[in-house]
Amino acid sequence: MHKPNRIILDAAIATAVVAVMGIARGVYSNELMLFNFIMFLTLAQGLNIIYGFTGYLPFGYVGFYGAGAYGFSLVVMHLHVPAMVGMVAAGVAALVLGVILLPLLRLSGAYFAIASMAAAQAVYEIVANLDLESVTKGPYGVSLSDVFAPATSYYVALAILAGTLFLVVWLRNSRFGMSLQAIRDDSVSAAMAGVSVVRGRTIAWLLSASIAGLVGGVFAWHISVFYPDTAFDLSVSIFSTVFLLFGGATTLSGPLLGVFILYGIYNVIGIAVPQYFQFTYGALIVLLVLFLPNGLVSLLTNRGIRVP
Amino acid sequence: MKSKLLAVGMLLAAGSVQAQPSAPAEIKVGALYASSGPYASISMPVFDGFKLWVDQVNAGGGVEVKAFGKKIPLKLIAYDDQSSTATAATLYNQLITQDHVDLLIADSGSVLTSVGVPIAKEHKQFLFDVSGTGAAFFTDDNPYVALMADPVSTIWPHYISDFLGDEGAKAGIKTVAILYSTNDFTGTQAAALKGFFERDGKVKVVYYQGVPTSTSNYTVLINNIAALNPDAVLELGYVGNDIAFLRNLQDSGNQFKFVFSIYAGTEKEEIEKNVGVSALTNIYSYVPPSNYVYKPEVGMTQQEFHAAWDKKYPPGSGVAFGANAVYGYMTGLVVEQTLATTKSLDQMDIHNAVFALSGKLKTLDGTFELRKDGAQIGEVTPLGQLQPAGKDELNLIAVYPPDLANGKAVIGK
Repeated sequence: MHKPNRIILDAAIATAVVAVMGIARGVYSNELMLFNFIMFLTLAQGLNIIYGFTGYLPFGYVGFYGAGAYGFSLVVMHLHVPAMVGMVAAGVAALVLGVILLPLLRLSGAYFAIASMAAAQAVYEIVANLDLESVTKGPYGVSLSDVFAPATSYYVALAILAGTLFLVVWLRNSRFGMSLQAIRDDSVSAAMAGVSVVRGRTIAWLLSASIAGLVGGVFAWHISVFYPDTAFDLSVSIFSTVFLLFGGATTLSGPLLGVFILYGIYNVIGIAVPQYFQFTYGALIVLLVLFLPNGLVSLLTNRGIRVP
Repeated sequence: MKSKLLAVGMLLAAGSVQAQPSAPAEIKVGALYASSGPYASISMPVFDGFKLWVDQVNAGGGVEVKAFGKKIPLKLIAYDDQSSTATAATLYNQLITQDHVDLLIADSGSVLTSVGVPIAKEHKQFLFDVSGTGAAFFTDDNPYVALMADPVSTIWPHYISDFLGDEGAKAGIKTVAILYSTNDFTGTQAAALKGFFERDGKVKVVYYQGVPTSTSNYTVLINNIAALNPDAVLELGYVGNDIAFLRNLQDSGNQFKFVFSIYAGTEKEEIEKNVGVSALTNIYSYVPPSNYVYKPEVGMTQQEFHAAWDKKYPPGSGVAFGANAVYGYMTGLVVEQTLATTKSLDQMDIHNAVFALSGKLKTLDGTFELRKDGAQIGEVTPLGQLQPAGKDELNLIAVYPPDLANGKAVIGK
């Protein structure tokens, strides 16, 4: 397929997903469930940027999400600024955390994954510290009833999803994205070919962190009442990672499939027969690891078919 | 002319017939519960108590609904939030937007209720808050919530400070240590207690420490407290915290003149099963309605309810009888009285009917009385002590205030 056609196909998929999630709100009234879908669609793509394109898998990805949620909450609570300013603060908070954690990129593999998880836990402990109650509300959680606006925050979440999807489309089809994939496959060879490894990884890391921060911020805005345990819940990292790996990293459609299939099953089983949820989920993941370690999309890519 | 009048009359009559709402085949009641996770121990007894009421009502042909002038069966739609606030938020939405429940019952405790409050307000759905006592839930601008079965957290502990300042001071209690779990329920009580002690100036707070609700080992904390040698120790936590604290206290060998724990009395059977009689002897606690006899004007007496509970959930088969079981059943009684008086199932009419019960409804849980913002202020929490009653048995005796006491406190190590 020619490059312009590839870009058009990728962009069409991104547009279709955003349109479907926009229309769904008018059709299906459990808005929070749809909002959660948007959240995980975005987080899985945000994780795709750092894992799919550079090979770094941060188990502590939720740290950026939590930083965003609290970045939003702190400026809204203490400075009484409009929610949109809070969203900027959410992105900045995660970006700053990303900069602080840049040295983690010196690690790799399991060491990096575990170190990022420890970092997320450290941020949680700071936020939930009772001595910071006057600043973060400590373990008692945050209430943002003054800015509670479920409809507006839903569409802002949709805009973040759109931005993230088109960023992935660009990465998949740009020179920069190709250089990231080269770094992932063999960083020494990439460096010898003139690719700036440190610059590439840093940009991907900060982009990924900012996306998680923005999602955390819009989550805080949408739900308006939450506790540190919720904002730094490790299951946010686990779900995003599983959705990404289930569908297939580096592609646009893989993480989308992962979220729609697995989170769909989660909601159906989780509501109807929650006692079977862990069994079903566990069985699916075991089957995936055994038979499709590169995700669902590998069913096609193994046959030489390009997957958007 | 006559025929015209007749036609107009028939039209008016038809109109009035159409204005009568048709009775639904069932009243849909939505509820959440947590079968696993940190809040299961307080959620399951509430849910089982509520289910007991639903089954009892349906066995009698349904609940009397004044708006339709007949009995209508209840349909309970319940989901398991597994103690997760994120899951609970989605499920509250599910109950309101997909199941279109007529009545919405919150999960037990402040944490799992907290996410339901803004969602219910947003959807203009009245929330029957069973035991979410967080003070922030109740505001004058939100008519869509009322607390059913627990007084707000700030009301709970005032008899403790009154007792220590009064009878405690006479027995030589001058210093107190407060150790609490950092959640809305116990954190608010700890702050209120500290404020009461500082205000009264009779007992000095020498230790004031919050720990995460997930704390499961208190050994170091108990030794830290013992190093300060306080006369009284107040441990405010959830069931799991209290079990760990009381076990560790007994193992440590430290003794204090006065030791208080919320659930030692509130969930006596459950705690006794886990820590044994000796670790509980002479421990102070609140006296819940499961251990104090109020004269109900509606519903079963405490003894009748206990018997009905043991019949439905035989001892040892699962969840133990305790205060939370009473809260669940009591919430059912409020729902029953609400439906018996509400003009319609419109949520503001339900609000009006619930608030009209304030001060008038007397159940096995005491007097149901609401503040204007929906906070529960009618129920009282007497101070009690677990005193020996024969071999391997403890009785929870109300010791304060004097007008509610049915025994004398034993103060000493």
